[in-house]
Amino acid sequence: MNIAILFGTETGNAEMLAEDISSALEDEHQTRFANLQDTGPSELRDAELNIIVCSSYGDGELPASAKPFADRLREEQTDLDGVRFAMFGLGDGEYATTFGHGSMKLAEMLIGRGAEIVGERLVHDASGDDLPEDIAIPWAEAILASGNAAAASTAE
Amino acid sequence: MTAKVAIIGAGPSGCYTAQALLKMDPDLEVDVIDAQPTPFGLVRYGVAADHQGTKGVARQFARIFIRQKARFFGNIRIGEQVTLGELQDAYDAVVIAAGLSGDRRLGIPGDDLPGIIGSGSLTRALYEHPDAAALPELGQDPVIIGTGNVAIDVLRLLAKTPEELRGSDLGDGPTAWLAAHKFRKITVVGRSSAGAARFSPVLLKELADLSAIDVSVMHPGSANDEEGKRRLEALAELVAATSGPVQVDFHFDSCPIAIEDVSTGLKLDVETPEGRQSLLASSIITAIGFTSDGSLDRDTMLDSAQDRMRPENRTYTIGWFRNGPVGAIPKCREDAQALAQRVMSELQPDPDRIGRNLFETVPDIVGFDHWQRVDALELSTAPDDRCRRKIFHKAELLRPSNLQDA
Repeated sequence: MNIAILFGTETGNAEMLAEDISSALEDEHQTRFANLQDTGPSELRDAELNIIVCSSYGDGELPASAKPFADRLREEQTDLDGVRFAMFGLGDGEYATTFGHGSMKLAEMLIGRGAEIVGERLVHDASGDDLPEDIAIPWAEAILASGNAAAASTAE
Repeated sequence: MTAKVAIIGAGPSGCYTAQALLKMDPDLEVDVIDAQPTPFGLVRYGVAADHQGTKGVARQFARIFIRQKARFFGNIRIGEQVTLGELQDAYDAVVIAAGLSGDRRLGIPGDDLPGIIGSGSLTRALYEHPDAAALPELGQDPVIIGTGNVAIDVLRLLAKTPEELRGSDLGDGPTAWLAAHKFRKITVVGRSSAGAARFSPVLLKELADLSAIDVSVMHPGSANDEEGKRRLEALAELVAATSGPVQVDFHFDSCPIAIEDVSTGLKLDVETPEGRQSLLASSIITAIGFTSDGSLDRDTMLDSAQDRMRPENRTYTIGWFRNGPVGAIPKCREDAQALAQRVMSELQPDPDRIGRNLFETVPDIVGFDHWQRVDALELSTAPDDRCRRKIFHKAELLRPSNLQDA
């Protein structure tokens, strides 16, 4: 499948996780890896599935590298009908009331423009014991294994 | 030809610089030197013991040494075992990311009295830095001067109950020290209005979950900007949310004028909108920023760094060492990426420069593999309610007695 792995990051942790997901998938899929900062909303159309890793920063805000993307999405009112994405969040359970809000807000914005979310949005807790890649890679593989993600890939 | 870059300081700025350089050119020889036997600087010794999520960047930094092949040279103090001049001769570029570890003084009469403790000195002791002084006696009514994030970190640590410290890496000694203090009142004093204070509203919201405190706010003032309004809102919520036994008083718009020794402890005079007031303190913790601790001649180094005066030195500065104590971890990353671009564009590799061979005769250097063993030992010996048990004596860090094959 043609997959774009995109990340929104503030400290680089989401970038590292996106690299791990990309490494795990690149043997079996055609993958593209990019910072949301360098991605225009309409480019989401180029992939059959967009796997997005997005952290949360400050008071549950979008991380710095997702902000320009979100601004463009808002300004350009890009129509994302037919676009599919899966969202993995990074959060810190110490801040319970805003836990994972960055990835939640970004997912809502994409859905608001007509994109379809595939699989469940999961959020890794930086204050927990699990390593993010131990959760995110099986999550991504499960999504790809489900017919749901493959539905859009009739061209493959 | 492989270029050689030395980075002084394995804290966030140094690590992000190494990461960015090696992303641009994976074949560079990047050597990160630190005065301590352990890497990661303020991530280990400055980020609060109960903010483990923030310390998560250490995993990213570890990869710089494991996968990107940067080399760690721990336990080398520049100016002692190796001089800056020798480093400049040995490497094609030198990046100084040494941070700032001295506490800025108040600069008012009485600011050197016993019982006045710098926040850096206090947090190094709390977080078990090998060079830290003993934990001081704070008494029952400490006053914290400063309303930045460091001040709020100190307040939170002092105010947490043992239960609320679960999952942190606060050590046995500091934990017992905290439990022995029976604080009655903790006062936080800031010169600015609440809206203009430096603390992040998020840190203030976090205080609302503490069971032991009862917050009051004196003259918060007003705010017209968004950020200021958020601070005022967070403070109002904090006042409403807390009703514990330890009184926490925030005094905004209170400019410290003088400190005197009195029979009951210390007396801090402040200038407020309501005139001069005196606050009694069993101890005073200053959290008003950091400055050079004098171990590196910062002024001379800033002058000799390339971007100021002397291109032939091929020396760059970054982070707090360069900018002063402003900016958190994301700012380090942003600046490091910009600096790496610049270093790469100006690098002129010279095969005659000896690079890491400079350290061959220096005794007691430890590498990243040593840290990995110490790290594993600290994690595996953590008590049930802690995520890590830090080793804090330097000799023990260099040669842990129960470390196999060390």
